[in-house]
Amino acid sequence: MANHHNTTEPTVHRHEEIQRKLALKEERKHHNVSFVMMILLTIVAFFAIWSDKISDSFAVIFILTLAVVQVFFQLYVWMHLSHKGHDFPIWGMASGVLVAAVTVASLMAMIWTS
Amino acid sequence: MNAGERLTDANFPAHPEKATLEGKNKFLGFWLFLGGETVLFATLFGTYLGLRKMHLDGPSGEELFSLPLVFLATMLLLTSSLTSVYAVLSLKQNKVRSLQGWFIVTLLLGLGFLGLEIYEFIHYVHEGHTFTSSAFGSAFYSLVGFHGAHVLFGILWISTLLARNWNRGITLANAPKYYLFALYWHFVDVVWVFIFTVVYLMGKVG
Repeated sequence: MANHHNTTEPTVHRHEEIQRKLALKEERKHHNVSFVMMILLTIVAFFAIWSDKISDSFAVIFILTLAVVQVFFQLYVWMHLSHKGHDFPIWGMASGVLVAAVTVASLMAMIWTS
Repeated sequence: MNAGERLTDANFPAHPEKATLEGKNKFLGFWLFLGGETVLFATLFGTYLGLRKMHLDGPSGEELFSLPLVFLATMLLLTSSLTSVYAVLSLKQNKVRSLQGWFIVTLLLGLGFLGLEIYEFIHYVHEGHTFTSSAFGSAFYSLVGFHGAHVLFGILWISTLLARNWNRGITLANAPKYYLFALYWHFVDVVWVFIFTVVYLMGKVG
């Protein structure tokens, strides 16, 4: 990485590089924290079902909420939706999720199960 | 600069996956595709939720599902999602060997997950729970099997991607491909979060 253009450039270049390294270190930390969070959310969800102390109807709502929280971690931290330049991807996913919610609700309502 | 040229630390862009127009297009197109995939899986989830109690004479989900096995599968897939994000961090630092290493770990964890799922399905078939045994059976295998097919596709995708680019380093042409695979793999894990919640955990409480 020898820089042989002029005298000021190496310091500028090094400064940028250090900043980038720090940003990546921070990002790695976020990924690790979100991994631990997702493991915990998963364990809590399994425990809520496994334990007899929590009523079934409450447990269902509870684990669905945990699933939604976990998916936000995936999308925003691991899939970088929180980063700059993700406006169109967010619109794409949001419209997908909206249609998905309507689809699930209507299919459940339409199927005759009695 | 030629897009197929190996990038050096000196000319490495901040976002190699979006440094070319082609990379930008792939990035946007892939996110829109994932929005569509969300809807596709929603149709299968909706159908499953409507039919999950209709098991006829066959075993019900409550009798079939084994939570320890599902928990193990969940941990494998969750960890593989983390290793693929580590690979993306290596991509951003132009560390191609480390990228390859993390993607190989991802690939092995994915294979482990797939192995567990095949074992599980074989077990269910012996218990009398098949694709044609009831509406519950059809909905279950369509949903979980379709997710499993996504895992299998991801395994084939990353294997061929790694093999094709093994000695090429990171280039402007292959950086978007690695990046998109990681997005895909996270999405497969996102779908699994809902499968273990809606199919297995909710199946246990009726």
